[in-house]
Parts: sequence; structure tokens; C-alpha cells
Amino acid sequence: MLKTKKRLSLLLVLSLMITLLAACGGGTASNSPGNEGTEKAANGEGAAGEKLEKVKLTWYLVGDAHKDQSKIVAEWNKMLERDLNTTVDLKFTTWNDWMTKYNLLLTSGEKIDMIFASSWADFYKLSKQGAFLDLKDLLPQYAPVTWGNVPKEDWDSVTVSGGIYAVPNTNPEYTPLGYVYREDWRKEFGLPEFTDLDSIEAYLDAVKTQKKVIPINGAAYENVNSLYKFWNDFQLIGGDVIGATSYDNPRDIQILPYTEEFEAWVKRMKTWEQKGYWNKNALSSNQEAGDFIKTGQGAIYWRNPSSAGGFINEVKAKNLDMEIGYFPFSRFHNYVIPTLPSSNAMAIPKSSVNPERSLMVLDKLRNDPEYFNLMTYGIEGTHWAKGEDDKTIVIPAPGVNLDETPRYDIASWGWRYEPNMKKEKGGWDGLDVLKEEFKPISKPDIFGPIYLDYAPVKAELAAVNQVFEQYGKPLMLGLTSDVDASLKTYREKLKTAGVDKLLEYIQEEANKYFDERGIE
Amino acid sequence: MHVQAEELPMVRKTNKGTKIKPDKATIAFNVIGYTLLTAISIVCLIPFWLIVAGSFTDEMEIIAEGFKLFPNTISFEAYKSVFATPEQIYRAYGVTIGVTVAGSVLGLLLTSMAGYVLSRKDFIYRNSLSFFIYFTTLFSGGLIPWYIMMTKYLGLKDSYWALILPPLVSAWNIILMRNFMKSIPDSVIESAKIDGAGDFLIYRKIILPLSTPGLATIGLFLALGYWNDWFNANVFITSDHKYPLQFLLYKILSSAAVLRTQTGAYLAANVVPPTETLKMAVAVVATGPIILLYPFVQKYFVKGLTIGAVKG
Repeated sequence: MLKTKKRLSLLLVLSLMITLLAACGGGTASNSPGNEGTEKAANGEGAAGEKLEKVKLTWYLVGDAHKDQSKIVAEWNKMLERDLNTTVDLKFTTWNDWMTKYNLLLTSGEKIDMIFASSWADFYKLSKQGAFLDLKDLLPQYAPVTWGNVPKEDWDSVTVSGGIYAVPNTNPEYTPLGYVYREDWRKEFGLPEFTDLDSIEAYLDAVKTQKKVIPINGAAYENVNSLYKFWNDFQLIGGDVIGATSYDNPRDIQILPYTEEFEAWVKRMKTWEQKGYWNKNALSSNQEAGDFIKTGQGAIYWRNPSSAGGFINEVKAKNLDMEIGYFPFSRFHNYVIPTLPSSNAMAIPKSSVNPERSLMVLDKLRNDPEYFNLMTYGIEGTHWAKGEDDKTIVIPAPGVNLDETPRYDIASWGWRYEPNMKKEKGGWDGLDVLKEEFKPISKPDIFGPIYLDYAPVKAELAAVNQVFEQYGKPLMLGLTSDVDASLKTYREKLKTAGVDKLLEYIQEEANKYFDERGIE
Repeated sequence: MHVQAEELPMVRKTNKGTKIKPDKATIAFNVIGYTLLTAISIVCLIPFWLIVAGSFTDEMEIIAEGFKLFPNTISFEAYKSVFATPEQIYRAYGVTIGVTVAGSVLGLLLTSMAGYVLSRKDFIYRNSLSFFIYFTTLFSGGLIPWYIMMTKYLGLKDSYWALILPPLVSAWNIILMRNFMKSIPDSVIESAKIDGAGDFLIYRKIILPLSTPGLATIGLFLALGYWNDWFNANVFITSDHKYPLQFLLYKILSSAAVLRTQTGAYLAANVVPPTETLKMAVAVVATGPIILLYPFVQKYFVKGLTIGAVKG
């Protein structure tokens, strides 16, 4: 008996030691390749002029590969071998559970030479944690063209504590939310175009009373929530509860459910709910409101301009007998925030063995139209064809069946460069009109890059989110019998969940960022 | 015994003419029993039928009128999206079947050997070894160390072995197998030994045939596990010709969902696959074969489970 016990304890100690050793080994192993890489770069190896040694790179993109991916990459590699004596092994995360995989790829220190990075894929958090390589010194030497043509503000957006951790895309996009709606019905009712909440309410009312159709059918929450944010000009920061009260007062960060605007809003939404603008099961339904528009059972659906275009094109393609209009909420306050340049970028993980070559490839890819067209639009004549001028393309190419050869559409967002981008013939022309409308009223995004890691307020965040789900959402949709009482409970529950501590943390982090950037 | 079993049908045949009439109570019992069972099985089958019918319904009809047992118009859109690249689906079927067969056979071999060794009382280290196996069920290293070990140290990234090895042997199965084999009397093994049989011969000729119910149960667990596994492929497999079926179907679903939310202002956006009916079609494609297989192994399954239950 004693013997076995001894043996067991020995085993335990041994196994503990093994795990410890393994952990240490893993750490050092994943650090060293990155250092090597930077040293090499600093020595100026592989600079222009001398013959480049043959190198194989591994690139990772988010999303799915195209059916013809291997053909296109083979073509690309031919060009790369000719120009840079390089081949790239292009890999994709696929969309299932991609965030887990993305984090695994970076934390495990797998050898990757370039990866898609984005503010919505934790770019700021990951660069603070040291997942990416600082490119500041490498860029001028190995990606000189890109270094020259990316505007300073864009470099700023990927600068984290003094280091440049990614190459951002250069293609300002505007994605304010808005409503797609049945324009033919609006005309039929003789109602004015949307300008404010009252005109929208008048439309909803006419749809409900005259057409006997529930205007926001299916899942209603996001339809109402997006209207709420834009109408009140609330700029939410990290979550659904805390935010700045307006764009012009970025430092006035508050718990929004405590404001008068919120109170007025939920009271109004209660009347909307009573008039039957959405279903009783609006919170639990998982059917998109837009699907009901297509079947003639709904009238309003929230979308950003480009997906509104997709929706309108789909309605056209299916020959549904209806006219769809689009109203961007940006018209409430007359400004739009372009998406952050860092929302689509390419970064080099610390584990990369050949960061210099990878940057050279990216420089070519962004700036050489031959490379850019191939990897962004696919093979000419198969996936696309030239339009009437150099700037337009036709998809699909004549004689190609889209069912057999779907449009080439991979995660090419990371290397977008506006001068090289082409316009697709037959797209929704409303989008260009909107772009013209947005350009002059564009304001920079000063909320997106605020770095929030929540580690110090993890418990509070979870509790607040829980309260928001349980009390906030039904309140927003008027799904409680007594609004005043529910509002009171909601505010109390938020307080006990520790919303004040969360506010304090967010205020602190926001102020840090505003000070750094000199935003008043 | 063998002879008797052969004679039994003969006896029945001769008695056919003088069959005893069942009394009324038995008839009533049978009638009630059969109707009740029929009703219950119909209730059980309706959800399956709903899935099959749903997969053939038009997407717009489902949104407008909800799921129906008999759709107004039959649509093959969902299956068209699933089989958009038929070669890939067939390949994925091949990968899944290959991995399932290889994994189950190999897993059964290793589990039964481990179980047998641990069940032998003359194996001195059986308790400490059992503890060592049991110990692993309490702790796990977590996702990241596991991933690092699989990719960096074992080099299994993008290899079929990454699909076969992780679920191959589970501590729970070994313990189950050990308990099952403990019920085989030692005297059988001893007598075989006296007759001059070696350990492998005993294992192969006596233990394995005696533990078929246990093997069938664990085999089915393993096979189902391999058939349904998508996570290992999700994490380790990067080239699309190595995707197993479940992962491929999951991939089709998730990219359809992404397509729906992210469609740009393209004219060609009308290739958006239907999501509701797609889910149903995927369920049909994924579960079809294993449901067909089930009736053939069911009898072992029931027996194995009950034996396992009685012995704890």
C-alpha cells in the first residue's frame, strides 16, 4: 500500500514537471523565429538588386476559398516566381468558428508569413499582446510603394503604442445603417420621404392600418436598436449600454439607459409596440425582417448601403413585383463615419520567417494591377471581363454560367487600394449616389480604435450584459406591461451588476486614447 | 443445443393445423398494443418527416407560411446548394467513411486490449495504470497546448491522422471495456492456459468472441463519434479535399449565413443560397447513411448497453 502511494506521488510530481517543462519549451520556441526575422531584416538581407533566394510563404485569409482557388493561386505563383522568386501557400480559415482558429493560429506560434487582420478580429488587442510584428522599419525598404501611397491617417489607425502592426487597406467605405423599405407603398400612401422619426412612424402606421401588414416582421430588435442609436446620435463604446451622448461630445460618456433620451425612447417604442408595428415574439424570432419583405409580409429592414444594394438586386433578380427604397440614418445628423482603415488590413505574425519577402509580395499585390486584378477579381475571361473602360468590369464574363463558376470573392479586403479597384457593371447605382452624398460629410472614427480589453472588469461586464439581455432588450421593444416600472427595475439591476465600475473603466481608456490623439 | 435449434421450426410446422386460438384478452391486448405503438412511432417519425419535407420546400414558402408536412411546391434549391460541388461531397463522404472505419477498428483494438489487460487480476500494475488512465479524465491541458502539441510536436496539421488519433482511445471506453471483461470468469482463461494457449491466443480466440456486445457498443460509440466529428477537422485540416462530411456541411451552412449578412451591391448576388431549407437538406445528407446503418447494429447495441448497465 505504502509502495503504491509512493509510486503515485512520484508519478504526480513527474507529470507536473513534464507539463512545466513543456510550457517553458513552447514559450521560447514561439518567440525565437520572430526575433530571427527582425534581425535578418535589420541586416538588410534580400535588398533590391541582389538575386533573391527562393522562398515559400504561408499566407492566411479569413473566410472560404473559391472553387477555382488552386488555379488562381497557381497563376499567381507563376507571376511571383518570375518577379520575386517566391511562392505563396494561400490558406483560409473558413467561416465556421473562424475566431477560435484565428486565435489558435496566432497564439500557437505557427509559422505564418502574412495574415488578414482587422479591428473586428481583435487587431488592437492582439497587437498589444504582441502577436504581430512591428513593421515600421521594414515598410520603407520592402514595401516602398505602399509606404508612399497610404495616407498618414491610415498608418495612424494601425499604430499601436508607437509600432505599426499592419498594412491597412486604402478604400474609404461608408457603412452607416439605414432602412430598406417598400418605396412603392410609400408612394401609394402619398407619404413624404423619410426625414425623421415622425415620418417613419407615419409610414409604419399606414403599412399597418392600410395594408394590414406588420411592418417590422420577424426579428425586430436590430431594426429598432439601430434606429435608436442613430436617432439619438449615441456612439456606443464596447457594448450596448455605455457610450458617448453624441459625436461632438466624445468625452461625455454615460450609461445610456440613465439618460432622458432613453426614457423618451422606450416610452415611444411602447406606443409602437401597442400599435402592432412588430410581433409579440419579435425577440425570439430568428427570421430576418427582410425575408418578410420579399414575401409581401413586411415593409422595413435595417441594412448598410452595400447590403441594401444586395437586397435590392436580389429583389430585382427574383422578379418580385415591388420597388425598394433606401434611407440611411446618417441623414438624421448629417455625418458619416467611414469604416476604419484597420477594419481590413494585412499583418505579419511574430512567427513569420520571411517578413521582408512577405511585404514585397504585398507591395506587388496592392499596387501592380496585374497582381491586384488576379487576386481580387479572379482570372480575366473566366470570372470577369473588361467593361467599356479600364475602370469597369463585367461579372460574369460573357458565356460563363454563374452557377458553375461563382463570382470570385475571397477575403481580398486586406489589400484593397482604391486606384486599382474596379466598378462592377450592373451593380446598384444607388450606391454611387450615396457615396457622393457621404464624401463631403465624412468624419473620422474616433471611437473604434479605443482599446478595451475588459480584463479588470470582466465580472461586471458579464453581469451588465446579462441584465441588458434580460431587461434592456424587452424594454427597447416595448414588450413590458408597465414601462416606468420596468425602466426603474432595469436601472436598478444595472447598478447592482456594477455598471458604474464598467463606466469608470471605459471612461479611463477612452480618455487615454483621446489624450493621445488630441481629441477634445 | 445446436440440433435442438434446428428442430424447432419443424415442430411448429406440424402443429400449424391444431393451433390454439388466442383468447379475447390476448387479442384485445395486441390490438391496443399495436395501435398505441403505431401512434407513438408516428409521433416520433413526424419530426423526421418535417425535416425531409422542409428540405424540399421553397424558401419563400417557409417564410410566408411556416413549415408544412406537405409543401405546395417541391423545390430542389437547397440540395442544389449542398451539391453545388458534388465531387467535393463524394470526397467528403469517402473521407468520413474511411476515417470512421479506420478509427473504429483501430480504436476497438486498442480499447479492448487495454481493457483486457486491466481486467486480468494477475497484472500487478493494473490499479496504478487504471489510475493513470482515470487521472486524464479529470484534467485537460486546454485548447492551445493541445493544438501546439498536435501541430508542432506531432506535425499532424492537415493530416488524416489528426482526424483519427484524438478520439481513438478514451479513458471512459477503456474503463467500460475493463468492467465488461471483468464479468468473464477467470476460470475460462485459466483453462485455456492449461491447454497451452498464450496471452494473444486467449485474447483473440476467447475474450474477443465473448465480448461482442461490449465491442459492438463501444464500436458504435466510436463510429458515431467519428461520423459526427467536425471540430478536429475545423482546427487541423486546411486543404479542402481532406474535409470530412460534417465539416463540409457545416462549412456550407456557415458560409451561406455569412453570404446572407454580407452581400454587397452586386448584381450577381442572386446566388445567395436558401438558409432555412439548406439546414434541413444538410441534416438529411448528414444523417441519412448512419440511420440506414442503425437497424443492423441495433440488436448488439441494446444488449451491450443493458449488460453494461447491470454490471455498473
